[in-house]
Amino acid sequence: MPAPFRIVFEQRAETPKYLSALVPLISVLAALVAGALFLTATGYSATDTYKNMLDDGFLTYRGITETLGLSTVLICTGIAAAFSFQMNLYNIGGEGQLYLGMIGGAWAGLALGPHLPSFVMIPLVLIIGSFAGAVWIFVPAFVRARLGTSEIVTTLLLTYVASSLLKHFINTPDSFFRAKNVAFPQGRNVADSAALSPIGDTRLYPTFFVVVALALFLYWLVKKTEFGYRIQVIADSPRAAHYAGVSANRTTMSVMLLSGALAGLGGATLIVGPFARLDQGITLLGYGYAGIVVAALARNNFAGIIVSGILFAGLRVGGEKLQISTDTPKHIGVMMQGAILLFALGGEAFRRYKIRAVRMKAVAQ
Amino acid sequence: MKKLWKLAATAAAASLLVAACGGSDSASDTTQAPAEGADVKVAVVYLGVPDDKGWTYQHEQGILQLEQELGVEVKRVENVPEGAESEATFEALAAEGYQLIFATSFGYGAPMAKVAVNHPDVCFQWATGAKFLLTKAGGGEFADFDALPTNLGTYFGAAEEARYLSGIAAGKATKNNKIGYVAAFPIPEVLRGINAFTLGARSVNPDATVQVTWTKTWFDPTIEKQAAESLLDAGVDVMAQHQDTTEPGLAADAKGAKWVGYNSDVKEAAPKAWLTAPTWNWGPFYTKTAQAVAGGTCPTDEYYGNMQDGMVTLASFGESVDAETQSLIEEKKAATIAGEFAPFTGPINKQDGSAWLADGEKAELGFLLGEMLFFVEGVVGSAKG
Repeated sequence: MPAPFRIVFEQRAETPKYLSALVPLISVLAALVAGALFLTATGYSATDTYKNMLDDGFLTYRGITETLGLSTVLICTGIAAAFSFQMNLYNIGGEGQLYLGMIGGAWAGLALGPHLPSFVMIPLVLIIGSFAGAVWIFVPAFVRARLGTSEIVTTLLLTYVASSLLKHFINTPDSFFRAKNVAFPQGRNVADSAALSPIGDTRLYPTFFVVVALALFLYWLVKKTEFGYRIQVIADSPRAAHYAGVSANRTTMSVMLLSGALAGLGGATLIVGPFARLDQGITLLGYGYAGIVVAALARNNFAGIIVSGILFAGLRVGGEKLQISTDTPKHIGVMMQGAILLFALGGEAFRRYKIRAVRMKAVAQ
Repeated sequence: MKKLWKLAATAAAASLLVAACGGSDSASDTTQAPAEGADVKVAVVYLGVPDDKGWTYQHEQGILQLEQELGVEVKRVENVPEGAESEATFEALAAEGYQLIFATSFGYGAPMAKVAVNHPDVCFQWATGAKFLLTKAGGGEFADFDALPTNLGTYFGAAEEARYLSGIAAGKATKNNKIGYVAAFPIPEVLRGINAFTLGARSVNPDATVQVTWTKTWFDPTIEKQAAESLLDAGVDVMAQHQDTTEPGLAADAKGAKWVGYNSDVKEAAPKAWLTAPTWNWGPFYTKTAQAVAGGTCPTDEYYGNMQDGMVTLASFGESVDAETQSLIEEKKAATIAGEFAPFTGPINKQDGSAWLADGEKAELGFLLGEMLFFVEGVVGSAKG
């Protein structure tokens, strides 16, 4: 017997405001419930796990400063991803551009650091790191704008090249970036003038505030300026933009270059901040890829990315500490991050579509 | 306005997360009490997982021994990547009240030293480390040795002694005088091992050569296997390794070649190919250190164990190692333990045939640890990687 109902998705002409607020709330709640079921089924206490993740990620002094510290780089890679996504360009190579930002920043810190004072060096490291990130995306941006080559493939593949480049600079004997007289291959510390001090005894650096200001600036840029308007027009309809005399090629180039620069800035914040040198460990942390998630959670809204970046950082910090504060494996934390993302993106369907059950008979007529 | 709503919604979601979890305070206090009679809280940080049948597995055996002898429960923290981000792990362990923290990988050194400064009451121990590397001169952040935290020790051992002995087994086993060696990184620790192994092999078989392939990784089963296969294709009939897994041995076994392992006695992985292996015994050091910390002292030496104190050992022999070879190795082993023999005793030439050590001259430990960046005669390949 056929089912008496059929589920129908109808696109909403306009999303009611209460839904925009409700959907993320329910998504996060649903993820927590799903996670709790999994935890209980595998023999861990859901309340203990959540309480510890919350405490260690957001509520203790150490936890919240760690979270804000980590969010610095995640907000960078988040706005980098969102800046290209909003124009339907998919730069998913933020990870590689982040490595280049580290390489560029470390170069500046090592080569110029000994000769320049701190108030010149810190901005210089950030600028050169951003520039290096933009250089790394130049070829993908160029072939995308001129030949329409998929930037998804090119930016992703260049990430592997960037990873090899980073390892090359650390492992090669006599490399400029490698610590001298040290048997084990590791990066050389940048000059003191290129390294910021953290705030108090935390691992939160002043770059956090710079990055937050930058995100707010981008929010304004996209909403209020002609450049932002051009991006919106091209994103909505490249053809209409063409007739209106907007050059899609040039805007494509500038949007992708800026996207790469923002990811590179993320790498440079690590150099003036917690890393202070090239470190092969960065390739295991996936900050660049995390930026894609952060952008998606905030639906490419730059102000929202500040919130989703902090939320994501907190989940990660809290998750990392799980195996110390409880006996829960740290992969539970990783799983929770994944669950929240899945539910949040899944919830989009409810925001965009009206979902109704329709009687089969009525449909048949 | 629409965007602002979204922002508000996201913020609300975050506060909901807070509220949803905040409500569960009641059932919370999970701090597990340490086992009965424990008077020291110990934690160990692993790069990988305890059942890798190699480096981490061998540390886990030592930790198990500590637990058994002192009746304490040790906190294991697994899968912690090396580098700056490991600082958070050490900070959290110190904040949780652990009094003794073992870090079992090289890349934990600098982050751990930073945390050690802020927690003078906690005792930190860095495996395979060297304090020199934390000073400015060694590429670290502390001005000099005097500026280093006074609650940090390092521990490692003279694997080269067992490497030399296993080289004797390899030198005797090879039929075509071609031995292969799958090696991780071109650093003194690894180069010492290759050189001692080669000297051992050539002490019983002067025509033997040791061909080296670099993998640039401690732990990667696929790359280790491929490196071993390329050596086997080049015709070697004995395989040695400075890697964490058993893959080079399994590759050798598949081609009917012999195998000298590393880290653990895993003869059962390939009984036909197995000759022997240099292995580690961390248990006594772990137990001794925990006892000292329980008694209120943090050992801050740069501990360098050897075959004499038992930190470095030689695994059991495989079935193809004949009685004559076994007694030859046992003899050298006894002399090593008695302090009458050291692998790096002249005359020894460098790879290009130039003289390194004169007859009877012994290499200094400091040189071996920090400056051995070349091959000895008989090694084929580049010491630069």
